[in-house]
Amino acid sequence: MLRRVWSLTVKEFIHLINDWWMPAFMLFGGASELLLVGWATSRPIANLPLMVLDQDRSSASRGVITALENTGTFALHTQAQSMEAIQDALDRGEITAAVIIPPDFDNELASGAGHPSLTVMLNGAESTPATAALRAVKGVVRDLGEKVAFQHLGLSPSEFAGFDVSLRVWFNEELSEAYYMTPAELGLMLEFTVLLFAALSFSRERELGTLEQLLVMPFSSMEIIIGKSIPVALVGLFDFVLMLGAIHFVFGVPVRGSLPLLLILASGYLLVELGKGMVISIVSRTQHQAFLLVMMIGMTDFMFTGYAAPVESMPRIIQIVANIVPAHHWLTILRGILLKGAGLDVLWPHVLALVALGLVIGVFSLRFVRRALD
Amino acid sequence: MADTVPIIETHALTRDFKATRAVDSLELSIWPGELFGLVGPDGAGKTTTLRLLAGLLDITSGGAELAGYDLARQAEKIKRKIGYMAQRFSLYSELSVVENLSFFAELYDVDPSVLQERTEQLLAFADLTEFRSRRAAHLSGGMQKKLALACTLIHRPQILLLDEPTTGVDPVSRREFWDILGNLHLEGTTIVVSTPYMDEADRCSRVGLMYEGRMIVCADPQSIRAQIQGELIELHTEDWQMASAFVETLPGVLEVQIYGESLHVFVDSADERLPAIEAAFRDQGLVLREARRATARMEEAFISLVTRLDTARRLEKET
Repeated sequence: MLRRVWSLTVKEFIHLINDWWMPAFMLFGGASELLLVGWATSRPIANLPLMVLDQDRSSASRGVITALENTGTFALHTQAQSMEAIQDALDRGEITAAVIIPPDFDNELASGAGHPSLTVMLNGAESTPATAALRAVKGVVRDLGEKVAFQHLGLSPSEFAGFDVSLRVWFNEELSEAYYMTPAELGLMLEFTVLLFAALSFSRERELGTLEQLLVMPFSSMEIIIGKSIPVALVGLFDFVLMLGAIHFVFGVPVRGSLPLLLILASGYLLVELGKGMVISIVSRTQHQAFLLVMMIGMTDFMFTGYAAPVESMPRIIQIVANIVPAHHWLTILRGILLKGAGLDVLWPHVLALVALGLVIGVFSLRFVRRALD
Repeated sequence: MADTVPIIETHALTRDFKATRAVDSLELSIWPGELFGLVGPDGAGKTTTLRLLAGLLDITSGGAELAGYDLARQAEKIKRKIGYMAQRFSLYSELSVVENLSFFAELYDVDPSVLQERTEQLLAFADLTEFRSRRAAHLSGGMQKKLALACTLIHRPQILLLDEPTTGVDPVSRREFWDILGNLHLEGTTIVVSTPYMDEADRCSRVGLMYEGRMIVCADPQSIRAQIQGELIELHTEDWQMASAFVETLPGVLEVQIYGESLHVFVDSADERLPAIEAAFRDQGLVLREARRATARMEEAFISLVTRLDTARRLEKET
């Protein structure tokens, strides 16, 4: 039995080597995707193009513009001459924000009973930069308001400095996007790699007509399943280690928890996805079909991982469904171990959920695939 | 046949697909050492029969025994005794010729000590020795078929099930392939082969004609040819359409088959009818380039049988 399983495994690897793009994609597709995502998100948002329509042209109005530039979030795009110019630039997506300072800004600011006003326009079509711009504008306006209030009260800023908020961000001191994005991407890439690779295993042989030949051979269905699973599991694990190395060494994402624990749980998770992939593989008539099914399932799982938006802020029903998505637990575990240094004492509910889901999916897919093969 | 026990025996073997009965109560006995040809029109159930015997499909009802094992209960034992070659080429195209052979050998637990010798033997047998390290994908169609056959032979199966092994292969390769089958037949391997080519059916020791899931005729080629009513006359004319319509109306004509420009006419007595036909054509002003007696081949027999079955089926449906 061992000899036959072994020869099947070797055959799978020979396929892989001869069909070079497939292993190339499996091994380096994930890693390069990760590098790209990490690289693109590794810097804080800065230099958003800002347009200014300064109708006041006073030292006070120039002060506001300088303060906005000093946040680093904005870079002055142009001084607009009219509202139409701003409208046009926003329409064309050339700028993220525009500030309009009215003609009497300086006077209103100086007089005690004045109502100085500012108009800020943001390009909400791109919500992430818009949010960053909003935060920066609010900060500048608050500082400005404080300064005016102090002036009116006749206080000097050294006498009262306002609240001293001691703000510390745990687990990700620099609030780096890369810390959040790359582990999530890592988890997902592992899912996609294993799912896709497993999904192609039978559908490929069926498409090429070799499945028939395999089935007339004196194999038990179990031997076929094991022989087909070993290469997928090995490639998946190798890929995971490679990607983990990439985000750790390139972007400095820490591994604060136990590495062996992470690898064990990654292997466990990999087997769960392997089971799903095998079922896809057996129901698909062609590789093409299998691929589309993987995309569909992968994309759905993606919604529940909390990668795009936190699961906690999703509707209640989605939160409940998330509990039966293995990728959801896997990403929680992955982030926990990498960023928080969490161990089994904290993560056990997710590990337990993953084990339970794994058993259900594993038993189902094993029975399903065996039935289909016999 | 000398042996008294059939190596393949089916009892009312039946297989249904959703709406159709692909194989209908098949009763078939094949003796050891036979080269059995399975013929019939497309959709007659040849492939389904072979797939059932190979254990690839579940039996709807009935049963079968191969090499003394029950197909439904001992399929795993049977798998070691048979070699099956599917209609579609199904080797691993990324693997080389030798890799394919050794892969099959490992799967069938072929003793490694004999593998080397057997590989060389099969390579020589299939005339593939000089292409040993070429990838299967880069072999010609005929060579691929021969490699596929070599792979199914690596574990020395008692029974060989071949599903249209020569479809889509050039005539020379087809001949070579059948020479190999002939040698295997001489060595005593039982071979069941389905084929759309009637000249191949002629090379079989026995032929089974399937029609709509049933075995209609099962006999050696001579007996099947003998089933044709009447004697054969071959006519070559200028205008075959007009000629065939005309010849059908002549007395003593039983059946007309059209082969390109020539007409194959079955008559009750060739000696008597040949001069009469020639005379009739002259009277009608139709040009007759050639008219001669001929011996019926498997092809005429097959078309004659199937046409008769089709007609009977149509009449049955109309009433």
